[in-house]
Amino acid sequence: MFLFIIKRLLQIVPVILGVTLVVFLIMQMVPGDSAVILAGEGASKETVEQLRVDLGLNKPMHEQYISYISNVVQGDLGNSLKNNQPVLDEILIRLPITMELAFFSILITVVLGLIAGIISAVRPYSYSDIGVMVVALLGISLPSFWLGILLMYVFSIKLQWLPVAGWDSTAHIILPAITLGAGGAAIVARMTRSSMLEVVGQDYIRTAKAKGLAEHVIIYKHALRNALIPVITVVGLQFGSLLGGTVLVESVFAINGLGRMIVDAIRTRDIPMVQGGVLVASLVFVFVNLLVDTMYRVFNKRIDLN
Amino acid sequence: MMNEIVLEVKNLKTHFISNKGTAKAVDGIDFVLRKGETLGIVGESGCGKSMTSLSILRLIPSPPGKFVDGEVLLNGKDLVKMSNEELRKIRGNQISMIFQEPMTSLNPVIPVGEQIAEALRLHQGLSRKQAWDKSVEMIRLVGIPSPEKRAKQEPFQLSGGMRQRIMIAMALACTPEVLIADEPTTALDVTIQAQILEIMKDLQRKIGMGIIFITHDLGVVAEMCDQVGVMYAGQIVEHRDAKDIFNNPLHPYTQGLIGSLPKLYEDQEELQIIEGTVPSPYDYPEGCRFAERCPFSTDICVQKEPSLIQYGDNAKVRCWKYTNEWQDSLAKEVLKS
Ligand SMILES: Nc1ncnc2c1ncn2[C@@H]1O[C@H](COP(=O)(O)OP(=O)(O)OP(=O)(O)O)[C@@H](O)[C@H]1O
Ligand code: SF4
Ligand SMILES: [Mg+2]
Repeated sequence: MFLFIIKRLLQIVPVILGVTLVVFLIMQMVPGDSAVILAGEGASKETVEQLRVDLGLNKPMHEQYISYISNVVQGDLGNSLKNNQPVLDEILIRLPITMELAFFSILITVVLGLIAGIISAVRPYSYSDIGVMVVALLGISLPSFWLGILLMYVFSIKLQWLPVAGWDSTAHIILPAITLGAGGAAIVARMTRSSMLEVVGQDYIRTAKAKGLAEHVIIYKHALRNALIPVITVVGLQFGSLLGGTVLVESVFAINGLGRMIVDAIRTRDIPMVQGGVLVASLVFVFVNLLVDTMYRVFNKRIDLN
Repeated sequence: MMNEIVLEVKNLKTHFISNKGTAKAVDGIDFVLRKGETLGIVGESGCGKSMTSLSILRLIPSPPGKFVDGEVLLNGKDLVKMSNEELRKIRGNQISMIFQEPMTSLNPVIPVGEQIAEALRLHQGLSRKQAWDKSVEMIRLVGIPSPEKRAKQEPFQLSGGMRQRIMIAMALACTPEVLIADEPTTALDVTIQAQILEIMKDLQRKIGMGIIFITHDLGVVAEMCDQVGVMYAGQIVEHRDAKDIFNNPLHPYTQGLIGSLPKLYEDQEELQIIEGTVPSPYDYPEGCRFAERCPFSTDICVQKEPSLIQYGDNAKVRCWKYTNEWQDSLAKEVLKS
């Protein structure tokens, strides 16, 4: 297990190099010159040129990339082009917000998804099963920005139960977390259901029944543990798309998280900001995947043997 | 009293309904099991032995399985009519089962010791510690070395033979009145097999447990069983004292089975085999289900289904040969020709 984690940590290095390179190239290719944008409208040619030199933008691309990487290794993500503040400082303010949002969303994905999946699986083809599965299908098909706006309209504007946007109190977390977690919850629900139904037909469930165990013991102790193994993988995969989703949801609910920061930075061609944001986001992604894989191994020890 | 009836099965029918039609897997099974007695059930693959035993504890998956008719009386109380709650107090407590599939019958993510202990806590009200100790004791009893260590392991860390023995330990842990053992020793090598059979017999002597012993192996029947039920196509075709069945089999199918055994002290040119195949459970013939393969088959066999009749004091057989109608039928045939 220890060796496995070390191996996976080493794999992070090429991933990070790849991500930074791709972002770097894309930012070079997009139209719009950071120096021009930064200098502001009506700036003289000389000012723009001076800026370009100051920022190192006049150097060849590979030199820019290498100097960027060597700075990153030393923990320096550069300064924002907009306000010349360290990118890292800004990220450290934004990241916790996004992580909080992601945490509550994944909580909703897991808890809601599992409950719905179990309800469905316990009485397959009953009305409760069909009802849950129809809702799940909706949850998968609805685009999250649409769901977000819908929820906002109903709960914030019509009913006025919850705040419209922002990130100041617990109440602010609820709608964005639901918006972001709903799609995943639907997928987890479907996965839990099919996995449970498969497990319930296994010989060892028959053994558990033959022992005289009550239905809830059979479901929660004997069936669910086995059914969860594939569900964990799905949750892990969901985390990736969930991180991507933060960008949208943060925009819809005007939350100043990492996703929104990256979007704003792209708009203003604030290259160091974009690169720093994407780099940190992918680091988070890689670590979460490692966490999920480790959990999967703990749950399913048989994998370790092979 | 040892002769008390502990389990009685009457006209048990379990069918499987699918778009292929209705498979009459268990189609009118009758037998009695007495205290301290072992009833062997033998018969070809697919004749319904496992489905009969699953039906007794109402463990048939439904759909596609369907309980059609019958009574299962444990000390006179009908399991068929019981509520699920009442039934749960019997499962694993008064009636235990060893399943035919040792590799898949244990939960892959729960330590085997716990899988034994949970039944002990449930039925015998033992504490966690007591149940665990008893569980380790049972694992020792079935001959698995270092039981303390094994109890903590999960099934994938155990060999097939060990898993089978864990299943046996689990079934015996609550000292049931009836043990249903579906090919319990097939996965084991001969020495361990003998050891396990000895453990079962020993417990039987101590607590007067009745055993239903399902097997392909007539040698094990001779060694273990007091009574034998021979099954063919979802029905019992002969019910005998074990000692009689080898010397004097009544039903032509049983005669075929015994005849196909290699005999140790006789010079045999070749083993007899029963020709033909078993009819499909989706489409049983109207008359005797063995008629197609039976050397004695006559008109009445094809026309009418024989019922399980009493023959002498302690034998039952499902065959027209042992009825009065048989003579009439033969006479008619002679007249025709
Ligand atoms: N799920 C099912 N769907 C349809 N038919 C089934 C199903 N399970 C069992 N059967 C039928 O029940 C019949 C009896 O099966 P059973 O498992 O009891 O045989 P068996 O005597 O135990 O055989 P073996 O010696 O191979 O274990 C089979 O021939 C099959 O047609
Ligand atoms: S009833 Fe007829 S066909 Fe059937 S076993 Fe007896 S003799 Fe053979
Ligand atoms: Mg079987």
